[in-house]
Amino acid sequence: MSSRSASSRSSSSRSSSSQSSSRLGRSIALHLFLTPLALIWLFPLWMMVIFSTMPDRGIFSPSIELLPHGSFLDNVSNLQRDTNFIGAIGISVSVAVTYTFLSVLLTSMAGWALARYQFFGKGAVVAIIFGTITLPYAVVLIPQFIMVARDFKLANTWVALIVPPLFNSLGVLFMRQSFSMMPGDLFDAARVEGVKEWRIFLFVALPLARPMLAALAIILFLASWNNYLWPLLINSKPGAMTAPVALGTLIGLTKVSWGGIMAGAVMLTVPMLVVFVLLQRHFVAGIAAGAIK
Amino acid sequence: MAAVTLKNVVKRFGVFEIVHGANIDVEDGEFVVFVGPSGCGKSTLLRMIAGLEDISGGEIAIGGKLVNDVEPADRGIAMVFQSYALYPHMSVEQNLSFGLRMNGNPKADTERRVKRAAKILRIAELMKRRPRQLSGGQRQRVAIGRAIVREPQVFLFDEPLSNLDAELRVQMRVEISRLHKELGVTMIYVTHDQTEAMTLADRIVVLNAGNIEQIGAPLDLYDDPANRFVAGFVGSPKMNFLAAQVVGNDGDATVVELANHGGTRLRKPLSGAPPAVGAEVVLGVRPEHFFDTGEGDCDIAVKADVAEHLGSVSYIYANAGPEELIIEREASRQRASGDHMVVSIKAGRSLLFDKSGARIR
Amino acid sequence: MRYQNATAYRFLAPYLLIFSIFWLWPIISSFLISFQATRTVPWRFAPTFNWGRLIGDPAFFNALKNTLLILVIQVPVMITLAIVMAVLLNSPLLKARGLFRFAFFAPVVVGEVAYSAVFRLMFNLDYGIINKLLNSIGLPRIDWFSNVTPAMAVIMIAVTWRWAGYNAIILLAGLQSIPQDVYEAATLDRVSKLKQFFYITLPLLKPIIVFCAVLSIIGTMQLFTEPFLITERGGPGGGTETLGLLLYRQGFRSLNFGYASAIAYTMAGLAIAISLVQLWLTREPK
Repeated sequence: MSSRSASSRSSSSRSSSSQSSSRLGRSIALHLFLTPLALIWLFPLWMMVIFSTMPDRGIFSPSIELLPHGSFLDNVSNLQRDTNFIGAIGISVSVAVTYTFLSVLLTSMAGWALARYQFFGKGAVVAIIFGTITLPYAVVLIPQFIMVARDFKLANTWVALIVPPLFNSLGVLFMRQSFSMMPGDLFDAARVEGVKEWRIFLFVALPLARPMLAALAIILFLASWNNYLWPLLINSKPGAMTAPVALGTLIGLTKVSWGGIMAGAVMLTVPMLVVFVLLQRHFVAGIAAGAIK
Repeated sequence: MAAVTLKNVVKRFGVFEIVHGANIDVEDGEFVVFVGPSGCGKSTLLRMIAGLEDISGGEIAIGGKLVNDVEPADRGIAMVFQSYALYPHMSVEQNLSFGLRMNGNPKADTERRVKRAAKILRIAELMKRRPRQLSGGQRQRVAIGRAIVREPQVFLFDEPLSNLDAELRVQMRVEISRLHKELGVTMIYVTHDQTEAMTLADRIVVLNAGNIEQIGAPLDLYDDPANRFVAGFVGSPKMNFLAAQVVGNDGDATVVELANHGGTRLRKPLSGAPPAVGAEVVLGVRPEHFFDTGEGDCDIAVKADVAEHLGSVSYIYANAGPEELIIEREASRQRASGDHMVVSIKAGRSLLFDKSGARIR
Repeated sequence: MRYQNATAYRFLAPYLLIFSIFWLWPIISSFLISFQATRTVPWRFAPTFNWGRLIGDPAFFNALKNTLLILVIQVPVMITLAIVMAVLLNSPLLKARGLFRFAFFAPVVVGEVAYSAVFRLMFNLDYGIINKLLNSIGLPRIDWFSNVTPAMAVIMIAVTWRWAGYNAIILLAGLQSIPQDVYEAATLDRVSKLKQFFYITLPLLKPIIVFCAVLSIIGTMQLFTEPFLITERGGPGGGTETLGLLLYRQGFRSLNFGYASAIAYTMAGLAIAISLVQLWLTREPK
């Protein structure tokens, strides 16, 4: 923020050398403060990786270990012995992919309707969807559970993992925002040309919303991938658990491989970190869009 | 090709009435321009013809067929938008053919129409480009091309030139005129720019605050405006309005005294009923209708405030009491601010309005 | 615009169906269940059964107290930290911006279970890296999980680690939406960087800060996984039990749906109150 203004001022009031030396001072102070903070922030992730490469007796030894060892694969097989983690990962991936696809589709359709049509009851629909958005999820947990487990008898199925979380209205908010920022003439032009509404949505609106869809998809995928409480409640049967639930069952057990747990944590986390690094722009856009209206 | 008829067309947004009963007959093949200041309802009217806005009251017919409840696509119209509304993710060719493709038009016919439009608008070499790789003028051509491809009975233009720079605007104006001659179809064109209206239109519809002020050929509006609003809106620079009072009527003429010009009187012949003696009226004189001293029917003295010399003409912004006048003179290159000058008004080249703004003929 | 009822509802229908079944109806249903005695079949209407129990239940007040304690300490610390992160990450003087962004934002993608496991291991009494590091610099090790205060501290540290970057992302986007020329004008007026922060940045950022705070409060209020996994079901002895955990215990361990619904609605009441405070704090000045 200051570089342009500082350089324009330097010629008039101060000499440029004292200007640049004060900038250097501030720059050094900035890095001296931020670097340790960043290291502290990275420390738990680093330790996760280190633990996952250490044999259990290494984790529970008095020495301080800060560098990787070579027992990652042993830990993975220990983990697989304690619980069918690979199977659980398969469930998690399938559920997250399906959920993301369906949720993007549903919320962008709803967002499109709210952004681009005038219809009877619009005010009420908007008020109900967005008026309840800050209610805690805990409120619906019990009726959802009773409905899915007792009434629909869907406990321990994929449907139970995928369908109820589709209620999420943040996506609707996000997509409504995205579509209403597009110039309306674009859609009117297609309308005048006789293009059907669903084709306008599919062939004009969605292609234009690609960056927003990417951001939304990433956030939804992450949410589903990391979801813990609902899968814990509804799919608690061994063969139906998602990866976080399977991993969670091991925490607190006495005869369990902690190296294995850490290997599981790494398998849950590192792919997401890679996605984060590759698609940081979309990630940040997705999270930030929740607040900037 | 088709005529467009608007009968008592009303538009309301909630409790606000935006258009108060518009009656317009656009003839087959005619070029009609809706002109008026922003917010006058001209774009709303156009969008109602297109079917993009509901009609709150009245009837719209295209080609003799009532279209109030007809989908935009089935009205036989094509529209060019102010923002061009080109699909940014499609090439020029895809933009032109999108509507036809989406409606299952035979491929060969689509290609024929796209080729024809490209030829008419001379954009054949741009077909593979994306909209963002085009200049403003090129985008404008593609937007018009997309309308041509539809082979509509009526073209609707919504301020199509307002995003172009001055030079391109003149160029595209000529293009659109040429296009109208070439295609011979009905065109309805919305603009806030009276120059565009004057140069393009067969007939102009002047709108103000949701009312139609006057409909007529460009020069008829210029020569014979129905009221003070039209008189002020048509013509550039604007018509001057001088405060005046009726001091007497003699025969078929009325005598008015110019309030800010030291009792200068003008005898103005009238064809209709003369106004009452003592009534306050307004005398309208166009900047180009001031004459040299003694050449007109009454002389007024003014003091030049600012002089703009454009070469072919000069505009003198002059003060006379509280009134500011714009005077156009061809031979006033030497005038500078502070100069005193005397100009003359001809009764035949001035217009009289009553206090409400209505013409006194 | 034209009224297009049929088209609009065709686009809305799939979402509205899911939304009604899995969100709208449960909100109502949960309210109704909270007025029913659900320990015996069939359930019967007993308006004071759960709510009466709630106001006399020490376990509820313990969980409420713990939850509020975490809220009051953790949220302000985290938001302050997030503001600092955002402002410093936004500095044009910063080198290796990508690395710093990664360090602070990376926890956002880490799942609750994974990081709970890591924190549990890091704070282990005998073999945890934290105690080993404390020892190596001559400090006594701390028995993190046997005492309430350190156990609470671990929960707060964990939550702060996980969510500070998330809030920093939102705040950073807010910072970047402040027009640069405001700062340039202030610089020309010789307003120091520090004063620019307090008199320009903070006021312009206020709505977003409040938004982050509300989001964090509502999130922390439902805290479940951390006390469930890190401090072993709210240990020691209920010292880190939260409302979320109590709800889980009542609803899904004791299968006491009525009482759990009453707890859930207590949380909803708090959330509504906080949202109202947000509206009041960010109201347009008259």
